Amino acid sequence: MDKFKRTALLTALAENLRKKGSWCGETHLQKATYFLQALQKVPVGFDFILYKHGPFSFELRDELTSMRADGLFDLHQQWPYGPTLIPTQKSKRFRQQYSRTLEKYKRQLNFVSDQLGKQNVSELEKLATALYIRIEASSKSENQRAKYLHSLKPHVSLDDSLEAVKTVEGIVKLAKSATA
Amino acid sequence: MFWSGTIRTISGRARGERIATSFLILPLFVYCICYISSAKAMSENPAPKKVSKHYHELRDPVHIFVHFDSDERKVVNSRPLQRLRHIHQLALSYLIYPGATHRRFEHCLGVMELAGRVFDVVTSQDNVTDRIRESLPEIKKPNELQYWRRVLRMAALCHDVGHLPFSHAAERELLPINWDHERLTREIIYSPEMQEIWERLTPPLRADDIVKVALGPAKAKSLKFSVWETILSEIIIGDAFGVDRIDYLLRDSHHTGVAYGKFDHHRLIDTLRILPSPDTDEPALGVEEGGLQSAEALLWARYLIYVQVYLHPVRRIYDIHLRDFLKAWLDKGRFLTNIEAHLRMTDNEVTSGLLAAARRKGSAGHDPASRIVKRDHFRKLYERNPLDVQENSEAASAIFKAAEEEFGSANLRFDQYPAKGGGHDFPVLLSDNRIVRSGAASAVLLKVPPIAAEFIFVTPDKRDKAVAWLEANRNSIIKRKGKKNG
Repeated sequence: MDKFKRTALLTALAENLRKKGSWCGETHLQKATYFLQALQKVPVGFDFILYKHGPFSFELRDELTSMRADGLFDLHQQWPYGPTLIPTQKSKRFRQQYSRTLEKYKRQLNFVSDQLGKQNVSELEKLATALYIRIEASSKSENQRAKYLHSLKPHVSLDDSLEAVKTVEGIVKLAKSATA
Repeated sequence: MFWSGTIRTISGRARGERIATSFLILPLFVYCICYISSAKAMSENPAPKKVSKHYHELRDPVHIFVHFDSDERKVVNSRPLQRLRHIHQLALSYLIYPGATHRRFEHCLGVMELAGRVFDVVTSQDNVTDRIRESLPEIKKPNELQYWRRVLRMAALCHDVGHLPFSHAAERELLPINWDHERLTREIIYSPEMQEIWERLTPPLRADDIVKVALGPAKAKSLKFSVWETILSEIIIGDAFGVDRIDYLLRDSHHTGVAYGKFDHHRLIDTLRILPSPDTDEPALGVEEGGLQSAEALLWARYLIYVQVYLHPVRRIYDIHLRDFLKAWLDKGRFLTNIEAHLRMTDNEVTSGLLAAARRKGSAGHDPASRIVKRDHFRKLYERNPLDVQENSEAASAIFKAAEEEFGSANLRFDQYPAKGGGHDFPVLLSDNRIVRSGAASAVLLKVPPIAAEFIFVTPDKRDKAVAWLEANRNSIIKRKGKKNG
């Protein structure tokens, strides 16, 4: 996918998340983009690794910073939360130029926003890490995956890990039924 | 006895002379007695081996002293580290800032020194909470701490050993596909030569651990990082307050004479802490409220020195001329990636080739070499600016394309430095013990603009014509946006 289409998709994703009530900081966009790519197979082409708060792409981080420099996102702050990324008027014009791409991936964008729009950073970390582990260790049972998640992220309790693994299982089933 | 007896037998002038003579004879006599007795003792007991110094220090213009022990000195003395004595830290910036002739060697020593200082602060038991001790068991075990302190310092020392001559930024074009200086760094740390050193240190170090901490998760994607290892790598290469950044800002500022790079790093380091992230509890490198202003000053210093020094247009065009020279001068236009070839190639070899090429017309790379040597560099025609970007994010590319059609690609060069990184988001421990995100504690951090630059350069003889052409066509080019296909 070329850079411009990807830019349009990322600003659209931020818009959708905000409409669903998301605070939409960088972590929200990182995890939502991971779901868009890994679960919904939208070819945004980022390389995700397990890092801060779960799957993380340094390339995506750079791209979001570059989009801020280009005036496509504004960074706002409201106590006591972290910064939020707000798509600008300029990004709206940009999305209009790429309406076909956005139409093509509308269902996937809506699905991810519906599932993650209301989640806070803590929940997003657990869910995105659970999805990462599901892809990396697909043959393992839910209990094994929960233990693995807990070993990778010791600050997430075993109970919370298991819950996240089960929630992700549900999201994956829902995604499959939506495409069937 | 000898002393009092001599004085008692003399008087007057002779007495004074005798006293003076005695002052000379007496020490000699004492020395002889001591020497004879010590020689006797030595013949009875063989001489003890001379105990060599175990701790060493070097003077440094930024940190006053850099300390290391005899084990660490083996790494300092290794070929990959000594090579960095011949790699300029700021490439050809000395052509603009004459003082900027410092090398990567002293930067690496500085990074090692600071890494040790930060480690000692953040692992000091007074600065670690029970919550963090539970999440990071390494902090509770003195032997493990000792091991990881050594790993951190060695990773800091070696983090730049893969740099190409002139620390060259255009390495993507000058190295084979999938190679960069971080990969070369990794190969060197794993090399048999360095492996032998790691194994002989006390305690022996695992090369994997050094690679992880030196390169971090972004550049060592094939390795799995624990939370502890992630924090250690952040101490070196972290976006917010990695010691690599702290050292290069201070050092480059010192040598260029550009004061913007200075900030209160002592205060910052003293207030660094490992803190649970406010949203997830995941441990991360953060700062106490009292050090927040130093962190703000660091990020502003970075912004200002980028704009003033690293993205100075003349420095950028010299980099481009150097890249053009290297592409013509190197065999197949690429640096070799085997370790021996890498260790042999320094700024000295390149400078020698550059001067020779500049002298001989027709030799490979003559034109760019000559432009550098004679200071006949391309001149700035256009620079990215907020007004044009607001109208069209691709303004610079559009102008470059149009200029190429007008003046020919041989007369133009395009330079892009895209905005990247993050780093303004870290936990802050407030004085009332609450932990918040940095953005919530500081109104200043969010105001630091992303750093991005684009330049178009033109040959000196075409500059006036090109400037007139740009004035006449600028607005229409920027506003001419092609219909997108998406």
